[in-house]
Amino acid sequence: MKLHKNFLILLFITLMSFSAHKYYLSLTQINFSSKSKSVQIIINVFMDDIETALNKDYDIDLQLTTEKELKENDVYFEKYLNEKLHFKVNTIDKKFNYIGKEYEGELVYFYLEIENINAVDQITISNKILVKHFPKQENLIKSKVGKVNKSVLLDAENYSETLKY
Amino acid sequence: MKKLSMLLFSFVFIAGANFAQQKTKQGHTNQNKFKQLKDELATPNSQHTASGAPGIAYTQQKVDYNMDIVLDDDNQRIYGNETITYHNNSVDKLTYLWVQLDQNMRAADSKTPDIQPNKIPTKLSKSRFDRSFPSEAFDGGFKIEEVTNIDGSDLSYTINQTMMRINLTAPLPSGASFEFKIKWWYNINNHRTQGGRSGFEHFPDGNNNYVIAQFYPRMCVYDNVEGWQNDQFWGRSEFALEFGDFTVNITTPEDHMLGATGVLLNEKEVLTRKQLKKLAEAKKSFDKIVIIQSQEEAEKVEKKRATKTKTWKFKATNVRDYAFASSRKFIWDGMAVDINGKTVMAYSYYSREANPLYGDHSTKAVAQTLKTYSEYTFDYPYHKAISVDGQMGMEYPQICFNPGRPNADGTYSDRVKYRMIKVTIHEVGHNFFPMIVNSDERQWTWMDEGLNSYMEMLAELAYDKDFPITRGYPKNIVKYMNGDQSRIAPIMSKGDHVYSFGNNAYGKPATALWILRETIMGKELFDHAFKTYSQRWKFKHPTPADFFRSMEDASAMDLDWFWRGWFYTTDVTDIGIQSVKKFQTKTGENDTVEFIEDTTAGLTFAKKDANSKFHYEITYNKPGGLVMPIIVEFTYKDGSTERKTYPAQIWRYNDKEITKTFSSEKEITNIALDPDLETADVDTSNNSFPRKEQTKFTQFKKKMKG
Repeated sequence: MKLHKNFLILLFITLMSFSAHKYYLSLTQINFSSKSKSVQIIINVFMDDIETALNKDYDIDLQLTTEKELKENDVYFEKYLNEKLHFKVNTIDKKFNYIGKEYEGELVYFYLEIENINAVDQITISNKILVKHFPKQENLIKSKVGKVNKSVLLDAENYSETLKY
Repeated sequence: MKKLSMLLFSFVFIAGANFAQQKTKQGHTNQNKFKQLKDELATPNSQHTASGAPGIAYTQQKVDYNMDIVLDDDNQRIYGNETITYHNNSVDKLTYLWVQLDQNMRAADSKTPDIQPNKIPTKLSKSRFDRSFPSEAFDGGFKIEEVTNIDGSDLSYTINQTMMRINLTAPLPSGASFEFKIKWWYNINNHRTQGGRSGFEHFPDGNNNYVIAQFYPRMCVYDNVEGWQNDQFWGRSEFALEFGDFTVNITTPEDHMLGATGVLLNEKEVLTRKQLKKLAEAKKSFDKIVIIQSQEEAEKVEKKRATKTKTWKFKATNVRDYAFASSRKFIWDGMAVDINGKTVMAYSYYSREANPLYGDHSTKAVAQTLKTYSEYTFDYPYHKAISVDGQMGMEYPQICFNPGRPNADGTYSDRVKYRMIKVTIHEVGHNFFPMIVNSDERQWTWMDEGLNSYMEMLAELAYDKDFPITRGYPKNIVKYMNGDQSRIAPIMSKGDHVYSFGNNAYGKPATALWILRETIMGKELFDHAFKTYSQRWKFKHPTPADFFRSMEDASAMDLDWFWRGWFYTTDVTDIGIQSVKKFQTKTGENDTVEFIEDTTAGLTFAKKDANSKFHYEITYNKPGGLVMPIIVEFTYKDGSTERKTYPAQIWRYNDKEITKTFSSEKEITNIALDPDLETADVDTSNNSFPRKEQTKFTQFKKKMKG
């Protein structure tokens, strides 16, 4: 008998949806710029989730967007992203530069850049952002190289994917 | 010669026509985006009229409840003995009645968990694990002990999951009433660990905060739109309820503080002399919150356990539902609100764990909601509105349960503060939609959540003009609307079936109304129409068609194209500038004016003739499916700007692209579409001419690196 994964369906009671409806999703937009010869990455995550994750992982109290916001917190964000996020461009491991972050409503945007890329055939992304503390976290990747758009939805189990252009 | 060429021409023409006819042309139905909604909307009748107002034959059932409730704090159980009086105001004869048993959603045999596909996750938080994989099954659901006639004789009934059919021995004629009794009890769920729209929160010292709702068997709606409401309560799509009068006696431990729907009839029996004095003070305090039961007093009470009980007696008139909150931990404060000369009370009940966040903001948020909503709809008709520290976000008539607690040291961040105020405004706002403008939540989530999320924005901005609004602005819905189409449903979908519930039923309809008001109709026309709809349907049951029709009927604006696009499809806005040609004029022969095109690239003219205006022929394309107005901003060489808005109807002949001229005295250097992001345009890269190459990324990098 073939044991199918669906055999193991168990009950998850996710019924309630109130006004402050909560879902767990981040968006990573990857764009290859032939002009600047770089892979440009914008990531947005929910502010309270990333705050919870960093506070737990690094034993800090970020208090984002408040008067008590932890100063020079970029060092933690950069550290966190370096731990959770890895790229290969054309099968070669690549480090990214952390350009900075900005806040918009409930979201935090991170700007990352991989420099000195002449052409892109494929990108491998490994994304474990927020999955440790939020088991239902999903990380959506959207990418654009030339005129080709590729996207993939990653989560705690399937956190890595190679996108070919 | 001329004749010959004519002959040749007609030959070619006819031959061409013949050639084309070899392939039989296929016709089509009306696919125009401006096609009227007559196929989608129910045919008007004398109950729901073509104007969107209730008609002369409109009827509505009435249900009165007389209930004795006992809250058993030792066992977290609730017992009820209720008499239901059902008034058949319809013209129909009813052979059975349907009762909703919402608690059965938590029963052991509930099908709700069975319709949730799931996988085994790698890892779960302990609390989520306990919720999804409880060590012992929760014995939830109504325990129906007796269903009887008023004389005590047994009444035949059939239970189908969350509904119960009362099998009448004789049909209930039009205009007649039927009285019957139900005796029941159930185990209350811990809403913090098991989830729920009501339940109790357990504290380490043994105390419980109860926020109780959907706690009594209540009648289904019967009308000429759905017949008997026949859709089970799966847990998400909420309620359809009749208005009626409630007489409710609630017995709690003697040391409990209780807030509930309705007028408290025996305050002298259940409140202390000090509380009565403070309450009287609060009823006269329009600018300052008065503390009726202080934190100090509540802390004293919660340390002990009363053995006796007391009974709170309430009368609630013309409400569609009933709910209450009870705990010995509750602090209670209140303030009077002047609604057009009538005094309405704003109250909050909260435990010390929620203070000072609740003490600082809760009652103020309640008061603001009553004021703003009354201004845009109708004067709040009830005598009070309560917010309870219920640690969820759920709404009931005159009372709602809200989230948010400060840190242990009493501090709280702005985000915690604004979220708590936001949800409080939202839930208190539900008093208007759907508690009074009583739409069918089971069928249409957006009719209450969408309208309420829109109104919530106005109340938030009135509370604080810099209120961090997260939902409702057009730019905030772009990410959702531009998402994976297989995970998006039209707004006109039943709540149980939609993906991304919050965006579908709250965010997108709120945005749609915001756009109607700000961009399509204008504030004056919109506000009048919205008020008209609200007043027409207060204390009645409106349908989507009643809303759509009222908005058009009261404003003289045919908005069928807007409803069709925004509510019936998942189309997106994307309008761009495809190309621009530029011209100047010169005087031609025979009293004509000739247009001379400057074919150089860009907007700048190579040569300028001071005697001519600047003329531009602009082609706008529309990759997006939604029709929307074209909002254009022209920037002149001297830096000044001019706006032009073309109504959406400009797309009526061609849904893909249109060309429009624009003439000016001054030379244009830049043309931008939708400069204030009013239309939820999902791709702004085609919104300017000449194209701006700068992306969000390069903009940010430039800002950071200088």
